[in-house]
Amino acid sequence: MQNMTLIRKLITVVSLITATPVLLMPSVVWAQQGQPTIEQLLQEPFLDDYYSNVVYGYEIITDTQNNASRYVGNSLNCSNCHLQAGTQKEALPLNVAGMYPKWRAKNGKRNGIGLRIRECFLYSMDGIMPPEDAPEVLAISAYVSYLSQGQIMGAEPEGRGVPTLPDTGYDPNPANGRAVYLEQCASCHGVQGEGMVGMPPVWGLNSYNKGAGMNDIREAAGFIWANMPLGNGKSLSHQQALDVSAYLNLQIRPSDPRDSKFLKLLEHLIN
Amino acid sequence: MIRQYLSEATPSFAWKNRLGNWRTEIFAGFVGAILVIPQGITFAYLAGLQPEYGLYCAIFVTLFCSILGTSSMMSGPNTAVAILIGTAVLPLAGRGSPVYIDFVFLLCLMVGAIQLLFWLMRGARIFQYLSPAAISGISAGAGFLIIMSSLDSILDLSTFKTTFFYEKIYVIISDARDLVNPYSLFIGLCTIAGGYVGRRFSPRYFIIIAVTAGYLSGLLVAFIWPQPITELEYLGRMPLEWLPFSVPTINMEYLMISTKLIPYAITIAFIGLAQSLVIVRELKMETDQDINLDKEVYAQGIANLLAPFFSSFAGAGSFNRTKANQSLGATTPFSGIASAGFVLVLITFLGPILTYMPMAAMAGTLFIVGADMIKWRDIKHYAKVRAELVIYLATFISIMFFGLATGVVVAVFLSVSVFMLRISQLELTVESSDSGVLLKVKGALFYASLAHLTERFHSHFGKNMTVDLQFTTHIDQSAVDFFIRESKHMAAHGARLTLLINDKQGHFLKKLGASSDIELVAL
Ligand code: HEC
Ligand code: HEC
Repeated sequence: MQNMTLIRKLITVVSLITATPVLLMPSVVWAQQGQPTIEQLLQEPFLDDYYSNVVYGYEIITDTQNNASRYVGNSLNCSNCHLQAGTQKEALPLNVAGMYPKWRAKNGKRNGIGLRIRECFLYSMDGIMPPEDAPEVLAISAYVSYLSQGQIMGAEPEGRGVPTLPDTGYDPNPANGRAVYLEQCASCHGVQGEGMVGMPPVWGLNSYNKGAGMNDIREAAGFIWANMPLGNGKSLSHQQALDVSAYLNLQIRPSDPRDSKFLKLLEHLIN
Repeated sequence: MIRQYLSEATPSFAWKNRLGNWRTEIFAGFVGAILVIPQGITFAYLAGLQPEYGLYCAIFVTLFCSILGTSSMMSGPNTAVAILIGTAVLPLAGRGSPVYIDFVFLLCLMVGAIQLLFWLMRGARIFQYLSPAAISGISAGAGFLIIMSSLDSILDLSTFKTTFFYEKIYVIISDARDLVNPYSLFIGLCTIAGGYVGRRFSPRYFIIIAVTAGYLSGLLVAFIWPQPITELEYLGRMPLEWLPFSVPTINMEYLMISTKLIPYAITIAFIGLAQSLVIVRELKMETDQDINLDKEVYAQGIANLLAPFFSSFAGAGSFNRTKANQSLGATTPFSGIASAGFVLVLITFLGPILTYMPMAAMAGTLFIVGADMIKWRDIKHYAKVRAELVIYLATFISIMFFGLATGVVVAVFLSVSVFMLRISQLELTVESSDSGVLLKVKGALFYASLAHLTERFHSHFGKNMTVDLQFTTHIDQSAVDFFIRESKHMAAHGARLTLLINDKQGHFLKKLGASSDIELVAL
C-alpha cells in the first residue's frame, strides 16, 4: 500500500514536470483565451511553429520586397492590393481559407490555397512561381488560416474579393479614364503610373503583369471603386472606375507568363 | 598546458613563409569557389534551408577554418553534415520556417561547442580508431541518400514522402506518368549528361559544365513553354548580404525542445571531425605541410560555433574540393581564404543569373556528386579484407534503410568491435621439450585476450610451463591474477610455472603482487 502511494506521487510529480513546458507555451494559453492579435504575437519572444509562421506570413504580406524577395519580380507588396495586410473587406481580404481547396476548370484539379498564393507571386508580383513547399508559401498559408479563424468552412466570407460593379450600360472608355487618372490618381501613382515612395506603381515593368487578376477590367474597377483614391474610397462613380481601369489595362506592363515566348517569336517572324 | 592551448587557439599564419607561389593559391581558391557554389546551394536544400545559407557556409565556415587552421584543407558545406541537420530539425519545425532556422542555428552552436570539447580533451586521436572502411561506407551511404533526394527535384516529386527508398522507387515506376514532370526530368538529364560528357574533357571542372548544361536547357524549356505549364521550380532571387550578421535566438523554451537535438549534435560533431581529420591526415602524409591536428579540430569547432552568427550552418572538410585544391598546387590555408573571398564576389555578380537556375539542374549536379561518392574502387579495395568489407557494407546498408545517424552509430560500433577483436588476438608459439613447454606470447595480455591463452594453457596441463612475456606489450591485473591462479593449480599437480620477463615488466608485476608463487626470470 505504502509503495502504491509512493509510486502514484512519483507519477504525478514526473507528469507535472513534463507538463510544465506545455503549460508555459503561449499557444496553449491562447487556445483558452481565443485568438491573439498580430501585435500580441509580434511582442512574444517565443512562438511555436504555427504562430511563428503566422507572423512570418504577416511580414511577407506587408513587406514582400524584403521577406519574400526570392520569388518577386516587381516592386509591389501583397498588401498593396490586399489592403491592411489582407484584413480589409472589399479589398481582396485574405480570410478565405474556408474556400479552399476548390475545383477549378483551368487545370482540372482541386486547388489548395497554396496554388492561389503561388499564382499571385507569378502574376500579381510578376515573379517566379514558388514550389509548393516553399517556406514562404507555407507561412502565407498559415497567415491565411489565422485570418480565417471563426469563418464558416465553405461559406463565402462577407466582403470577399472586390465588389462587382453593376452594369452601367456604357462600355468602359479609356480616354475618359485617362482624364480621371490624371485628375484623381496621378498625384499618388505618378503621371507615368510609376508610383513613388510608399505609392505602388500601377503600370510599367515594376507593376503587376498582364496575367494578373488586377489586369481584368471588371476586377480592377471593383477594387478601384471600393478603395481608391486611398482613404476616399467609393467617391468615384461606377463608370469612372470602369473607365480608369480600362485605361490602366491598356498600359505597358510585363507580359503574361502564360504566353510562350517561342510562339511569340514565331508570330513576330511570320508577321 | 594552458600555453599550448593558447597557442593552438590563435591563428599562427606560419604558412606565410611557405607562401612561395601565391598566384597558384589564388587560382586554386577561385576554382574552389566555383566548385563550392552549386554544392552550397544544394547542400542547403538537404539541410532544409534556403540556398543563401549554404553560400554563407561556403564563405564563413571556409574562411574561419582556413584562418585558424594549418592545412590546405577546404572546409565548408558538407553532405553528411547537411543531411544530418535536415534529419535532426525537420521533425521539430516546417522546412525553412523561422523556427526551423532558429533550431538549425542552435544545433550548429552545439556542434561547435562539442567539437571544441573534443579539442580540449585532445580528442583528435579518437578518430584514428574509426576504420577507413567505415568512413568510406558513410560517404557512400550519404551519396546514396543524395541521389535519392536529388530524384525528388529531378522528377519534381516535392509533395510526396515515403519511409523507405524502395517504396519511392516503386511508386515512381508504377505511377511515372502521373508523377513525373517531363520538363524537369529533361533538364535533370541534360545536367547529368553534361556532367558525364564534360568529365571526358575536363575531369576538374565537369561540375561547372554540368551546371551550365542544366541552366541552358532550362532556358530553352522556359523559352518554349511558360512556367504555368512546366511548373518548374527555380532557385529564385537570393537576398544576399556581404555581412549577414544574425544572433541565434536562445531562450528557455528553445533549450527545452533542443534537448532532442543533442544526440544529433554529437553525431554531427563527430562525423564532421572524422571527415576533416581523414582529409588532414591524408594531406599530412602526401604533402610536406606543417599540420597540427589539434589545431584543425579547434579551427573546425570555432568555425561551426561562429557559423550561426553569420547566417550559416555547420560544415566540415570536403574531400572533393580539397582534392581539386591539391591538384592545382595549393599548399597553404591561403587558398581557402581566397576561395571564401571569391564566393562572396562571385555570388554578388552571379546572383541575378542564378535566379532562373532550375532546381532540376541543381539536383542533377547533386546526383553526380552523390554517384561519385559510391565508388566501385572502394568496394573492391575493401573486399580484400573481410572485416573491412563487412564494416563498409553494413554501414552503407544501414544508411540506406535507417538513415545517416543510425549508419554512423553502426560504423562506430563495428570499427570499435573489429579493433577490439584484433587487439585481443595473441600471437602464441609453443615449443615442447622434455623439461616442459615454452610458450611465447606476443600482443597485449589483458582481460579480453586471456581466453586465448587459457585454452593453450589447459591443453598442456600437468607439464612444466615457461611463458615468455618479453614481447608482450601490456599486462593487466586480470592477467596477473590468471598466472597466480594457474601457478597454484599447477603446483598442486607438481608442475612449475616460470615467467620470462624484461626489467620493465618485472617492476610492474611486482607492483601487481605476482611474485610470491611464480618464478620470475628477468632477462
Ligand atoms: C496587383 C495586385 C495584387 C497583388 C500585389 C497581390 N494580389 Fe493576391 N489577388 C489579387 C486579385 C485581383 C485577386 C483576386 C482575383 C483572382 O482570383 O485572380 C487576388 C487573390 C488572392 C488570393 C485569393 C483570395 C480569394 O478571395 O480567394 C490570395 C490567397 C492571394 N491573392 C494572395 C496574394 C499574396 C500572397 C500576394 C503577395 C505575394 C498577393 N496576393 C499579391 C491581386 C493581387
Ligand atoms: C492618396 C494617394 C492615392 C491616390 C490618390 C490613389 N491611390 Fe491607388 N494606391 C495608393 C496606395 C498607397 C496604394 C497601396 C495600398 C497599400 O499599400 O496600403 C494604392 C494601390 C492601388 C492599386 C493596387 C496596387 C497597384 O500598384 O497596382 C491600384 C490598382 C490603384 N491604387 C489604383 C488607383 C487609381 C485608379 C486611383 C485613382 C482613382 C488611385 N489609385 C488613387 C495610393 C493612392
